[in-house]
Amino acid sequence: MSFTVQGGEVFGLLGPNGAGKTITLRMLGGLIMPTSGSVQIDGRPFTRATAASLRARIGFLTETPGLWDQLSVEDNLLVYARLFSVQLPGVAVERALRLLELWDRRADHVALLSKGMKQKLALARSLVHNPRILLLDEPTANLDPQTSRTVRDLLHRLRGEGCAIVVSTHNLDEAERMADRVGLVSGRLIAVGEPALLRREVFGRRLRVQLLPSSRPPSDFVAVVTRAGARDVRLDGTDLSMALDAQDAGTPAIVRALVDAGAEVRAVFDDEPSLEDVYLKLLRPGAATA
Amino acid sequence: MNLDRIRVLMGKELREFRASPSILIPVLILVVISAILPILVVVVIPNATGTSMANDRALHQVIARAATWMPQLARLPPQAAAEAFLFQQFLFIFLIAPIVGAVSLGAYSVVGEKQQRTLEPLLSTPVSTAELLVAKALAAFLPALAIEAGGLCVYAVLVATIGSPGVLDVLLTTRTLMLVGVLGPCAALAALQATIAVSSRVHDPRSAQQIAVLLVAPLMVMFIGQIVGAFVVTTPMLAAVTAAVGALWVLLVLLSVALFDRESILTRWK
Repeated sequence: MSFTVQGGEVFGLLGPNGAGKTITLRMLGGLIMPTSGSVQIDGRPFTRATAASLRARIGFLTETPGLWDQLSVEDNLLVYARLFSVQLPGVAVERALRLLELWDRRADHVALLSKGMKQKLALARSLVHNPRILLLDEPTANLDPQTSRTVRDLLHRLRGEGCAIVVSTHNLDEAERMADRVGLVSGRLIAVGEPALLRREVFGRRLRVQLLPSSRPPSDFVAVVTRAGARDVRLDGTDLSMALDAQDAGTPAIVRALVDAGAEVRAVFDDEPSLEDVYLKLLRPGAATA
Repeated sequence: MNLDRIRVLMGKELREFRASPSILIPVLILVVISAILPILVVVVIPNATGTSMANDRALHQVIARAATWMPQLARLPPQAAAEAFLFQQFLFIFLIAPIVGAVSLGAYSVVGEKQQRTLEPLLSTPVSTAELLVAKALAAFLPALAIEAGGLCVYAVLVATIGSPGVLDVLLTTRTLMLVGVLGPCAALAALQATIAVSSRVHDPRSAQQIAVLLVAPLMVMFIGQIVGAFVVTTPMLAAVTAAVGALWVLLVLLSVALFDRESILTRWK
């Protein structure tokens, strides 16, 4: 497995359960050493000598929140702020708690918090020392849709501030919304790239043409678009979905051919398969890999 | 080693212990028994039954032998000498209290952390294994030591108020100080370190406690051997035992750092 994440980028690690996402994150965070190869941060590899100083630059959200239930929300974060030698730990804790809307719960014992609150607190903990690198294992697990959105917005903001963010998830919708690039993992790195490019690589370019009802049945137009250069044409109600070899050049020819044949075109747009389709296709046994 | 990080972790441990006072119940019970049992055996029961230890020939012989290394005994009347001798012997029980306390807290400290799954985020910080283990050892050691000191103060007050005149003076010797002030804490540290070493490899705090508390056995042998007159634990012997326990502690520190395998803790603990 080999990939690089730049500052100002969100990288999504996707894969089924047991694919090795958490182990990969732990290696990236210097918690466990790779059996071969190396993890480097700004060109410095993780070794016994560099591990402590490199870990100080990373914010790690673990798979389970791992909070001390007997301590208060604020105390949990204060311990971490001090372990990371933050100059003004009280100020840093207040900033992190306000960021995740937990400041009003600061005096509560963690045992009293809901699962979602604990997840938010764990996320606040990973941000308390203002790290430039964030490793997040399932950051929106246990969160309601509104809070998930808050977290996504926060990650976008941190990306804008130059943070390098690696997010592990099997929520493909989440990955699509958050990540600039994704890596598909299943014991090894199967594919890596921008979601849109991965779609193109895996499925090629597909065009969808919505037709208005006309005197001719839509099935008549399948042969029309095939003659105009389309492949793998599928009829979906009054919609035609087709694969095109050319990136953009094929579209005017297809539309012209349809109009000439008497079709009334309502809309034309790229027919993008979901990331889930890409994921399922690439993880299918025997699938070609990038 | 970063002392600030050790201090932060110790503070966290102590706050957790304070939030779970039930962990300290075994050591509190032991300290209460250690303080009250000698008074019952030496003063209350003989008074209630009308017997006098001064007339016990076997005890008299043991005290006469003890007077060779505890000359203050010879200067006391027979009843007071018997009390002083027995109160001195019961001090060995106080060695067990900090061991039990430290072992209870130490086992909870590592295994509890594994059970709550709080180790992974902690290990993702710059904290080193040695800092983590030293902080845990000291955080468990200090409350145990404080409880032992409190128990000894209560014991001294009881001996002074219930025992015969002059008995307390016999207890306040270099030997006593070495016993409860040096050997006791060293034994507690060694037991604690053994607990932490074992805790790194077991899934249950009780397993760690059961293995580590084996360190109590040699101390009990010393206590029983001396009280039945089999041998006398002199001050030089105590110094030698203390040095041996201290060396054992150092070895156990190295062992616990070696056994604390971050990777297997993270990957095998579910």
